[in-house]
Amino acid sequence: MIVTARPKRTKSFQYVVLFGYLVFLGFPLLWMLSMSFKGPRELVELYPSFIPEDFTFENYRTALTEDDHQLVRNGINSLKVAVVTALLTTMIGLPAAYVLARRRGVITRLGLGWILISQMFPLILIIIPLFLLLRDLKLTNSHIGLVLVYVVWALPFILFMLYTYVRAIPPDLEEAATVDGATRFQILIGIIAPLLLPGIVVTTLFAFITAWNEFFFALVILESPDLTTLPLRLAQYVGIEGVVRFGPLAAAALLATVPSLLLFVFIQRWLTGGLLSGAVKG
Amino acid sequence: MRKVIVLGTLALLCTVLVAGAQAGKQATVVKLKFATYVWQPTTVAANKSIVESWNKAHPGIQVEIVPVDVNSVHDKLLTSFVGGTAADVIHDEAADIAGFTQQGYLANLTPLIPKTLKQSIPKDLWATTNFGGKITGVPSLLQTYNIFANMEILKSAGIKAPTLAKPWTWAQFRANAKKLTTSNRYGVCWGLRSPVAVVQTMSLNYGGQFFYLKNGKWTFEFGAKDQNVIKQMHDMIHVDKSVDPAATGLSGSAVLPAFFGGKCAMTVAGNFTAQSMILQGPRGFNWAMFPLLKGQTQQQVANPQTYSISEQSKNKQSAMFFLAYLVNKQNLAKLALGDWLIPANPEAGKLARKSTKRAGSWKIATESVVHFRKGNWVSLAAYPRWKAEVAQPAFVQYLRGSSSLQELEKSLDDGWNRVRG
Repeated sequence: MIVTARPKRTKSFQYVVLFGYLVFLGFPLLWMLSMSFKGPRELVELYPSFIPEDFTFENYRTALTEDDHQLVRNGINSLKVAVVTALLTTMIGLPAAYVLARRRGVITRLGLGWILISQMFPLILIIIPLFLLLRDLKLTNSHIGLVLVYVVWALPFILFMLYTYVRAIPPDLEEAATVDGATRFQILIGIIAPLLLPGIVVTTLFAFITAWNEFFFALVILESPDLTTLPLRLAQYVGIEGVVRFGPLAAAALLATVPSLLLFVFIQRWLTGGLLSGAVKG
Repeated sequence: MRKVIVLGTLALLCTVLVAGAQAGKQATVVKLKFATYVWQPTTVAANKSIVESWNKAHPGIQVEIVPVDVNSVHDKLLTSFVGGTAADVIHDEAADIAGFTQQGYLANLTPLIPKTLKQSIPKDLWATTNFGGKITGVPSLLQTYNIFANMEILKSAGIKAPTLAKPWTWAQFRANAKKLTTSNRYGVCWGLRSPVAVVQTMSLNYGGQFFYLKNGKWTFEFGAKDQNVIKQMHDMIHVDKSVDPAATGLSGSAVLPAFFGGKCAMTVAGNFTAQSMILQGPRGFNWAMFPLLKGQTQQQVANPQTYSISEQSKNKQSAMFFLAYLVNKQNLAKLALGDWLIPANPEAGKLARKSTKRAGSWKIATESVVHFRKGNWVSLAAYPRWKAEVAQPAFVQYLRGSSSLQELEKSLDDGWNRVRG
């Protein structure tokens, strides 16, 4: 009895700490939820309450219908750009990471070094040359241009992540497949890709969220209101000298968070590792 | 057979003529891009309706709105100028276009501005967009800094509101703020998170310009007239203790909950805050916007929103036609009402007053136009950088009590010598 009492207390303490951490992480989201149901007067009360007193859906109505349903259009744009970015980045990143991990040599080492160096340039330094390049390609004010930039921007990090995942897979599996007559491509698709699934999911999610949340490139590259993405729309609720339309902003921001949350819910089982365990004995 | 040939030839001829007419029609249509940072829903709607009515009435000159994020205007414009993709008509502000003018990105509007437009805006406002004889922006809307008061608190303390004829002096403001300060209330909640604009704008009450032309060179000076306002603000916080020190770290709009909650009797903010008083103030909240404070004068620096034409525009004359329409008195009044800002054209101000129930604060706001003067700093290309990198942190430190007036002067002066290039 004495032996089991201590771990129980420890476990309870762990749960309390975990709960505290969850509240800490979730509080901004909960507060945003509360704000999204408050009227303009209640939003500037000196002692705000968590539960709205004058519960209203007006902020959601405003956010969704304002400017001919601009938020919805911008949401669709964001989804389009983020999905294409995530798919393209993974499609390029996976074979590239495989080659970098499996082919050792000067070129791969130089390639990895170059990828690392490319991460050192701050955003503000490259924005004007990048804009000029896109202008010459006639890709400014277009989703294709934006997706290209996002893919290039997310690719180095994704390459590195997938590279480490591939390195963790024992080459014995591939050797066995080669003995059975599989080609490189068959090995990549049939053996490596399924084993890499958690890694692919994580990196795809990273690319998706990077593109979903990105503001600055979209601000510079896109012009037409029909092409703009959600972060640009959300920024429009923030005005000069700290004047903010808190109600519609909270409602719109909450709606903008939903796709990312849903994505996490659906793919979380892929995020938990362990798929690789048992693939190779010993 | 002959019939078929004749009919075929006629059909071909018709097609060619129609196509030619269409092409001719398309060739004569001028397309203008109008980059604007309007963000309040009311102003966005007003802007849209103005552009729609223009497009309807002028099929030969079609305007397309390009929205710009209000907090990234400079970055967005700079990128588009450098990239050669700038809009034809550009919405910005006087202090920002100085740099763009110097870099040659904005067209000289002097020969293009119609006489009626030139006459409709006071000379002191044109001066804010005149850079060495070249006007590169049409002033449109402006703001002043005013005192907003909780009239219930003032009445119970026996303090009367100032009038346009008898505005408060700085001394009266300080005395009343002190009188209104109690154990559970401050006289003033003043959001001074970014204090440079309010300090420099109001310093003109004592003639403080901060930058003076000496031997053909703009020099920074911090003499008695430049120091007066910021020193009084500092003393209200640290000597009189009539300004809530906690609120000084907030923005102007962030102190409103404390003001609405009766934690302070007055606040100083941009005149557009009147809109928040109406929309966000508790029901029945008795507030008033006071006339401009008086030092030696009631003058405040004008840093108007501006409309410019890009040097890259191939249709400058058409852009000017549209611009003149955009800022005619009816349209300017609509835009002013949307943003609660003061129209540069006094006639538009009168129209705005007529079309609102809130005539009191609008009267005070629009009557302020005569007190606007050009601030020397508005025309300095290096000013935005000095303001952001040097003055903002230095003013905050001084108002917080972390540095002395001498230290403030030194950091402002050293900073100017560093950034002016």
